[in-house]
Amino acid sequence: MNRKDADPQDTSSGKKGNPTAIDYKDQLERDILYALKKPTPLYWGGLALAAGLVIWGAISWSIQIRTGLGVTGLNNPVGWGAYITNFVFWVGIAHSGTLISAILFLFRAKFRSRFNRSAEAMTVFAVMTAGLFPLIHLGRVWFFYWLFPYPNQRYLWVNFRSPLIWDVFAVSTYFTVSAIFFYVGMIPDLAIIRRLKEGIGKRIYSILSMGWVGTIKQWRHYNQLYKFLAALATPLVISVHSVVSWDFAMSVIPGWHTTIFAPYFVAGAIFSGCAMVITLVVPMRKMFRLEKHITVDHFDKLARLLLFTSLIVGYAYIVEYTLAFWSGNVYEEGQFIYRAVGDYAFFYWLMITCNVVLPLTLFVKKLRRNISYLFVLSLFVNVGMWFERFNIIVMSLAHDFDPYNFGFYIPSIIELGITFGSFGWFFMFFLIFAKTLPILSITELKEEVHD
Amino acid sequence: MTDKMTFSKRAEFISKLRELLESGVPPKKLKIVMPHPDHEVDEIVEKYVPPSKLKYFTLAGALSGFIGGFALTIGTVLDWPLITGGKPLISIPAFIVIVFEMTILLGATVSLLGFLILSRLPSFKSIISPEDYGNEFVILMDRRDE
Amino acid sequence: MRRRDFMKLMGIASTASLMSSCGVERSTEKLIPFVVPPEEDYIPGEDYYYNSTCTECPANCGISVKVREFNPIKLEGIENHPINNGALCLRGQSSLMRLYHPERIKTPLLKNSAGNFEPTTWENAYSQIIKSMRDSEQNGKDNLYLSGRTTGSLSELIDEFCKVTKAERLPEYETFSYANLREASNIVFGRPEIPNYSLDKSDFLITIGADILETYISPVQLTSRLNKAKREKNFRWTHIEPNASLNGFQASEKIRIKPGSEPYLLLFLINFILKSNLQKNRIPNNILAVLPQVGVGEVESQTGISNQVLNDMAQSLAKATSPLVISGGVSTAQSGGLEIAVLTGLLQWATGMATDGVINFSISENYSSVGSVLDMVNLVNRLKNNEVGVLFISNTDPLSTMPDETGLEQYLEKANLRVAFSDFQNKTTEKCDVILPLSHTLESWGDAEPRNGLVNVIQPTIEPIFDTRSEGDILLSLLRAYGKNQTAAGYQEWLFSGWNEKHGPAFADQFLKKGYAETIPPKIALSLQANRIAEFIRGAKFATAVSDPVLFVTPSLRTFDGRSAILPLSREIPDPLTTVTYGKWVSISKENALELGVKDRDEVRFEIDGTSFELPVRIQPGLAKDVFTTHRDQIDCKLLNIDPRTGETLTALTNFSMTKTGKSVAIPILSGKMDQEDREIIPDHYDDHEMEHHHEVKATLYPEEKYPNYRWSMSIDLESCIGCSACVAACYVENNIPVAGPEQHLRGREMSWIRVQPYYNQKEEAEFLLMLCQQCGNAPCETVCPVYATYHNPEGLNAMVYNRCVGTRYCHNNCPYKVRRFNWFEHEWPEPMNRMQNPDVFVRGRGVMEKCTFCVQRIRKAKDIAKDEGRKVRDGEVTPACAQTCPTEAIVFGNILDKESEVYKKSQSDREFRVLELLGTLPAVHYLRKGEETHES
Repeated sequence: MNRKDADPQDTSSGKKGNPTAIDYKDQLERDILYALKKPTPLYWGGLALAAGLVIWGAISWSIQIRTGLGVTGLNNPVGWGAYITNFVFWVGIAHSGTLISAILFLFRAKFRSRFNRSAEAMTVFAVMTAGLFPLIHLGRVWFFYWLFPYPNQRYLWVNFRSPLIWDVFAVSTYFTVSAIFFYVGMIPDLAIIRRLKEGIGKRIYSILSMGWVGTIKQWRHYNQLYKFLAALATPLVISVHSVVSWDFAMSVIPGWHTTIFAPYFVAGAIFSGCAMVITLVVPMRKMFRLEKHITVDHFDKLARLLLFTSLIVGYAYIVEYTLAFWSGNVYEEGQFIYRAVGDYAFFYWLMITCNVVLPLTLFVKKLRRNISYLFVLSLFVNVGMWFERFNIIVMSLAHDFDPYNFGFYIPSIIELGITFGSFGWFFMFFLIFAKTLPILSITELKEEVHD
Repeated sequence: MTDKMTFSKRAEFISKLRELLESGVPPKKLKIVMPHPDHEVDEIVEKYVPPSKLKYFTLAGALSGFIGGFALTIGTVLDWPLITGGKPLISIPAFIVIVFEMTILLGATVSLLGFLILSRLPSFKSIISPEDYGNEFVILMDRRDE
Repeated sequence: MRRRDFMKLMGIASTASLMSSCGVERSTEKLIPFVVPPEEDYIPGEDYYYNSTCTECPANCGISVKVREFNPIKLEGIENHPINNGALCLRGQSSLMRLYHPERIKTPLLKNSAGNFEPTTWENAYSQIIKSMRDSEQNGKDNLYLSGRTTGSLSELIDEFCKVTKAERLPEYETFSYANLREASNIVFGRPEIPNYSLDKSDFLITIGADILETYISPVQLTSRLNKAKREKNFRWTHIEPNASLNGFQASEKIRIKPGSEPYLLLFLINFILKSNLQKNRIPNNILAVLPQVGVGEVESQTGISNQVLNDMAQSLAKATSPLVISGGVSTAQSGGLEIAVLTGLLQWATGMATDGVINFSISENYSSVGSVLDMVNLVNRLKNNEVGVLFISNTDPLSTMPDETGLEQYLEKANLRVAFSDFQNKTTEKCDVILPLSHTLESWGDAEPRNGLVNVIQPTIEPIFDTRSEGDILLSLLRAYGKNQTAAGYQEWLFSGWNEKHGPAFADQFLKKGYAETIPPKIALSLQANRIAEFIRGAKFATAVSDPVLFVTPSLRTFDGRSAILPLSREIPDPLTTVTYGKWVSISKENALELGVKDRDEVRFEIDGTSFELPVRIQPGLAKDVFTTHRDQIDCKLLNIDPRTGETLTALTNFSMTKTGKSVAIPILSGKMDQEDREIIPDHYDDHEMEHHHEVKATLYPEEKYPNYRWSMSIDLESCIGCSACVAACYVENNIPVAGPEQHLRGREMSWIRVQPYYNQKEEAEFLLMLCQQCGNAPCETVCPVYATYHNPEGLNAMVYNRCVGTRYCHNNCPYKVRRFNWFEHEWPEPMNRMQNPDVFVRGRGVMEKCTFCVQRIRKAKDIAKDEGRKVRDGEVTPACAQTCPTEAIVFGNILDKESEVYKKSQSDREFRVLELLGTLPAVHYLRKGEETHES
């Protein structure tokens, strides 16, 4: 039969009785191929929407470059706002992907294999999105390359003591390693698609898979590589988000200058990333009819990870508050009172609700196994985590040491455009990924099956 | 000329492989293709074949990253010494971050490089005419010298 | 070819304006100003200084104008000048903008039949004027000459002009004519003059309402003398006022008095002096007979001042060796103001002030030709009766500031021809027929005589930018057009020949070089006009305390009477008490705010006399309940009345109702909060134990700071700082800081590098902290810049490298003092304002961070000179712009490594503290807390 139009639900490959392992593997391939078939109007609509948002963002950014950062809502004292919030938010999302890929690999968690491809893709695209923001928030973006230590005629180097340079190195490393990890993980799957496609498709996937055969020699090197990459990626995940959190922790201002930031942000990153994985995988599973491969049990496990990280984040909030008041430091106390009852109190309590209160419902098994509920909850968590970064950045700047300098910040339409543009950018790449690359880790799923 | 043995069941494949190797067939005459890696196969084969040399690449990369990180940071700060924030010129705590990232960066990229070299990828021959064996386990035995 | 060179070539080859309109790259317009310099010894790049006079307000401080490539770029006070002693106030520093303001009238204007102004030629204008003048002569009408306060040679020329053309010179119109004060001096001493107050010779100063720090008579003079007095031991200043002004917050003691009850206080003091037999000069019996006796209880209830405070004040006054009492400002601008001034004069006589030399009539302020609103009333009557032919209005804007009960606005157009000499269009010029644009003082020749015995020079520092003339030149041209031929071709010649005649040929050179010429007139022996005083007191109705709500309309520190509002800086820089920048407001007390249910920016409506107006509210700590204040230029002058006896404009409004409108007006308020909230930004006094450890180096992980040659530091004495914000204006001008404008202020983006931060405590006292870049030793901003755009230079400065900055703004976030400013936009400097830019300081483009640099351009200049002479920079050779202009010398700058330097000595004071020291930033700015030294430093 023509493989391209195979109905994924059709398991009648000719064998009667219990399907064998090889039947399962063939079926799996058919299911994945179904996802790669010609896009539906719904898909085109989604892609168009994402592209539209990207265009809005691009226009906003070009206005900002032409006119100056004054088109944002930033001012004295709030020099960072929506852009850095987006930066930290997207880096955080990226981390969960690596966690699911690399760390769960090292822990041999079984449910990982259903999510890891999407998670790795999410990581790469999230880092690409995050990497835009250090450029966007620059006052003189046309000199962005000064942030890299390249030999130049003025003998100038960069300041390696600055957390922003640590960011440059960390995020570049993270992007490189995630991209390598993503690609390497996909090589065998790309070979599979090469086999299933004809004509120009076959050519493309042939090139993409680099001529992978699957000999035992190749597999041995491949396994080693994968193990090492996972082993390298694990400390990388922790270090990168620690470095990003040190953008704040290495400053002096109250609310930022605290040692809890590294673990707090890493936990928060995993938390927001898990939520984003749910947000992405639930509709994708429906659209590409992968219900058989990604089951409620898998979501259950993912939801438990979500709950666990939410508890850590909640604990971090409590620690922050306790230490602020225990410290007797009037600036720290002032900042935390401001967070709860000041100008942005609404967003503070929104954050608490979305990040601490709502995830507590996941203690209920029925809710954990309800996929629609998980989807809605994940949206709330995304919102909550975006506002967590916003709160930390803006509230500490708006209310620091000297009462004369207390201020207020509202993002402008340009910042809104760029924020939505970044979401559009991310989803656009993800949608393209969903239609061109295997969204499940086929090889790993095959590995799990024994006769 | 090559003997091609295909197996759709994993158990059959493993027993045949074991049989071939234990009977003294030199491993380099066997080309074994699998649709996915398998733990048990690894255990069998590693008795007859030296382990993968990839780890040396990784070590080399990580070490060069480690040293390179210190070289870059300390070298540049001594090249044009500028005091910032009263901190010592060679601020080891700050430089450690750069060193760490460089270690991982070079460790990962050199490992990838090592993998490509060791696996002989990209293989232009295979790109132009791909070898696809589907979901079956295949053993190709080279019979030329017999 | 490098990109820079290519751009430069493009700049020279193409039209300059085309290139300057592009945003991203700036090209230079001219590389080589001249091949052959126009004068011998002219070196491009060198500063040339010329002495002249500031005419922004009638005080006429002496200024030294820094000229660079034939453009004046900075004004400083002339060192040791008898009036301003090297200082210059906020308005003075900003007045440079008046010269370059694009809205100046650029040509003579003639009103056409449609009522619009059309440009015309000078000859045409002159002929129109002369024709009209001759017509008036024929028709029996009067030609009148009205001007603002004019002194010196110009005044003589006006007299001559009037004599020749048979015009009448009217008494001059000034918004603040001090009519009550002068009339009181007349009644008491027989001299209708404003005396000169030698605050520096007194040891106990009482000011009743007089805003000596802001606009009163000659504020820089009074302030610098106050500063001198403060530096002597045992000087005390008590300020008594019904409202809350800068003077009250800065005085050693502020006493709040109920509006209108000042006479009771004065009577009490006089009675006390007499009763305790401590008077230095006898008060004649006929006065004593009519002088009301007041009991302490009555005074207490009328004034609201407690018994104890009253007695203490009176005792101190009696015991003081040379006390001084000055009444003025809001207190004498009430309906009972004349009484208050007369009683003050009497008190001054009794305590010997008038004879000891602290009040000096021999060098009285030159207000002899200044009239009052009563004279304007006469003018209006003549206008009403069609008696006026040609009316000259020179250098004054009566319609903007005069109470409308005079009816000037209504009848002004009855004059046949109204000729205005002005630099800007204003309410008055709009009603005129001919407008002749005046050159700025910096473009003119002249002299000024601010007080008896002192003459200031006015010399041009630039060719007139537009087609304008000086008043002297205009008058001489008019005389010529009238038919009188005189020997002087222009005013310069006339001026010099006049000097020659009066002072001899050697005078001019010395006069120009020094900037002023002072002669000490013989002392005047004052005598009391007993009969007049007695008569006055007999007929006087001493006002009682006003129980109704009062709205005080005070002069403005930033705009004077509104005339300086045209200067962008005057409203860009915040009002030091409220930190409001643009917009109008009314200050109200906390109690009234609670009662009305309003908070800052809520609008209230005043209904008074059938008219109403709305103003947003700003809560002012220190104001009494039912006392409101606003500034003279924020309210329609129609609402003001005059005292019919003297013509003094009464600025205390009563009989109004106030309601909340429910709307909110967005006025920029720069301060986040004016309450320290226990954060000890200005810490409380350290106890002895803390003092012991205060100067020690704390334990630190950081390597020790090592500075080989210099460590530039600053000390700011908060006891001396009066919050006048002159330093802020000087900094703007010196460092090319752009004026951001009201919209940017509302978004929180003002650009000032130094600012005055007011803090009010629970007792409603104020402390003003001057905040600027602290040039920290362990600067948090330096560590976090990714590109080394800011680093610590070997002299301790936090150096800012503008062209390296990529604009990440992390340094701005990390600064605990928030002194860094980011350029959010490309700022425009409209022609010809761009000529005002200091070429020693980079003009920052968008996306770049900036901040105070301790005027590194001045440091570098001093170092260059020192290097040429093979030595180090000496203490006092480098003065940043802020320190140079400060009237009270509050800011001291120098090298703290030099143990002989003043800044080092100040840093060892026991009043010394640094802001947010606990953060370990090691700031280079040492503040001295208010109060006295307890230990010798």
